[in-house]
Amino acid sequence: MMLTLLAEMTGSIHVGLAAMGVGIGIGLTGLGMATAVGRNPGAFTPVLVHGILAIAFTEAIVFYALFLLPH
Amino acid sequence: MLICGAVFATPAMAVEAEPAVSLKAAPLLQIGGFAITNSMLVTWVVALVIIIFAQLATRNIQKVPGGIQNFWEWLVEGLYNFLEGIIGRDLVRKTFWFFATIFIFILFVNWSGLVPGVGTVGWGHYTPNGLFHIDRPLLRGGNADLNMTTAMAAIFFVLWFIWAIQAQGVGGFLKHLFGPKGETTGFIFILMAVIFFMMGWLEVVSILFRPVALSFRLFGNIYAGESLMEAMSTMVPALAWLLPIPFYFMEILVGIVQALVFMLLTAVFTLLIAQHGPQEHAHE
Repeated sequence: MMLTLLAEMTGSIHVGLAAMGVGIGIGLTGLGMATAVGRNPGAFTPVLVHGILAIAFTEAIVFYALFLLPH
Repeated sequence: MLICGAVFATPAMAVEAEPAVSLKAAPLLQIGGFAITNSMLVTWVVALVIIIFAQLATRNIQKVPGGIQNFWEWLVEGLYNFLEGIIGRDLVRKTFWFFATIFIFILFVNWSGLVPGVGTVGWGHYTPNGLFHIDRPLLRGGNADLNMTTAMAAIFFVLWFIWAIQAQGVGGFLKHLFGPKGETTGFIFILMAVIFFMMGWLEVVSILFRPVALSFRLFGNIYAGESLMEAMSTMVPALAWLLPIPFYFMEILVGIVQALVFMLLTAVFTLLIAQHGPQEHAHE
């Protein structure tokens, strides 16, 4: 039952999976940033820079899934 | 860039059900092979308004600023100090013009898409359930057009390359990408050099994806906002005046956050490549 269900799935599932993972990843990054700023408000700027970078690299994964894999 | 955006936009257009808000901007008039779209119109109007506003503010400069001169000084100085804290004094002097322009422009283009009438005045038809659906709005948010965001990302990519070469030289640029980092010697050094050379190719792919990610991030956020607003105002016809209101406030926030993210990301990418020495991070 489960196997036929899986076999019948078509479309760009990998993009959905990538988007799911990226969502979790960005959420974790945001959690880390918020915690870090909460502990040390003076470090706001460096935390922001590193957080934004980490988010950008995480986010790129969904674009790899979109464009690098055949649909 | 027009072709580039069209290529990206086509596969998604093949979906059977047509989205409520069209994925691409609708052409208003055709001059030869060049179409003027509703998004372009908004972009030009916003650019013109910013130019006139800035000219008015700086026409009669006072020592003690007041009125719109005060507003612009506050905006530009605030941005300058913020960027200086992130990318350092030397770099901000060289690149401030670009980052400030991109921030102010994206911000006002995003917010102009929220003005009542943008996206709701135009040509359309009556749907079977008696609602009027706009097929071809007269005005459409400028960043809800992938061509616009791709163009901005492409301009940044070219500038990033120029700034990188200026700061590092061609050899330094290649060394930054492929060269080994850290302090190791002997056999381990050779091993690390091979690994870092391989890593360099990953880095190149990631760099090539930056303009794609930049343009899609901005386009996706603004387009999703337009779709959300459309959905909220058509979902329950009796409450069409109430449901979109909370989302208007959210879109105001999204507009400023996306402008900030675009500016910050481009600034940090520039910082990463133009940095001299191993650890000279911008400390205030």
